[in-house]
Amino acid sequence: MPHLERIKYKPIPVRELLLEMKNLSELMIDLAYSAALFNDKELAEDVMELESRVDTLAYLLEMQTMIAARDAEDAEALIGVSIVASAADKISDAAADIAVIVLKDIGVHPLVTQVFEKVEERLMRVKVDEESIIVGKQIGELGLVAKMGVDIIAIHRNKDWIINPKVKEKVKNGDILIARGAPSGIKEFKELAEGKLRRLED
Amino acid sequence: MSKRSRKQFEAIVEQLVELKDTSELMIDLAYSSLLLNSRELAEEVYRLEDYMDKLHTDFELLVLSSKSKKEEAKGFLGLIRLGVVTEKIADAAAEISEVILRGIEPHPVLKATIREAEETVTHVSVTQKSPLINKTLRDARIPEETGMWILAIRRGDKCIRPKPDLKIELGDVLIASGYAEGKEDLKKIASP
Repeated sequence: MPHLERIKYKPIPVRELLLEMKNLSELMIDLAYSAALFNDKELAEDVMELESRVDTLAYLLEMQTMIAARDAEDAEALIGVSIVASAADKISDAAADIAVIVLKDIGVHPLVTQVFEKVEERLMRVKVDEESIIVGKQIGELGLVAKMGVDIIAIHRNKDWIINPKVKEKVKNGDILIARGAPSGIKEFKELAEGKLRRLED
Repeated sequence: MSKRSRKQFEAIVEQLVELKDTSELMIDLAYSSLLLNSRELAEEVYRLEDYMDKLHTDFELLVLSSKSKKEEAKGFLGLIRLGVVTEKIADAAAEISEVILRGIEPHPVLKATIREAEETVTHVSVTQKSPLINKTLRDARIPEETGMWILAIRRGDKCIRPKPDLKIELGDVLIASGYAEGKEDLKKIASP
């Protein structure tokens, strides 16, 4: 049995909770498909971690809507919020189902990857090395989209996830970056973040 | 793998890609239906849900009818499971759109979450004289010309995600969102 922690009420606005659930569930779907197609266990682990986070958010949101509803009219107005939150939770569960395919070594047929690679961009996770020239730089000033067709869609920093980081966000040593792009650009970006590529060409 | 089974395999993957794309499109459309309080979009999600059911059945039959070797069985199981996931995502999208179909006024919190915007959704058919026919979406420059953003393209009973390389065809229905003024501009170039 995994240890499931007891969730205590926290006064976080419903809007914030729902926004995070929506963003995370969408990120998880992308991460999970990439994990399955490229048999990437680390990505699959990230998905599982995010899934338990979304579960926690779902509890908190449910508590918050319960408190907010004082009468029948409130309940009718808030039911939509509950339904949408539960849908986001189901989407994150679906992403976890994909991650399980990877973690339990079921895998998808290797030929799928060949076919998908032609049509799909892929996601990749990379840990930023202290030697990398991107440490301390703002995402915007790197110009990754123009230079290698790569977009940083999330940063995993310590226990936090920053989804769709702003252009002013600085890359830190030890960040785990989730990047999206065509296979060649992604490969180049990985070398850059790991400090193997020392120059960003225009 | 023989040529024939390779071909069959590509058909399987092609269907999987369509399941995946359709389910993701449904999520986008479902959230947009909430944002814009649009019954039309919510109904579109519902129609797509039916389409997904059919697609998913075809996909499973195709996977089951391919003769796989014993050592390949796991890989095929993985494919079946991916198909099931797309179905679950589609169901979640349908649940979101149900809020609108039941006539529940979207709570301000929902709109604030999805995006604050004064936008409308419009459906426009591409008719014979349209200059858009045979152009890719990239070349058509619809957002630049009209201020309307293409959410999806309906072609027969399919609904396609708008990718830059996609060619617009006669009879396509463009589903777009944007400010009300853009609606007329889009009509002018799609159904002149």
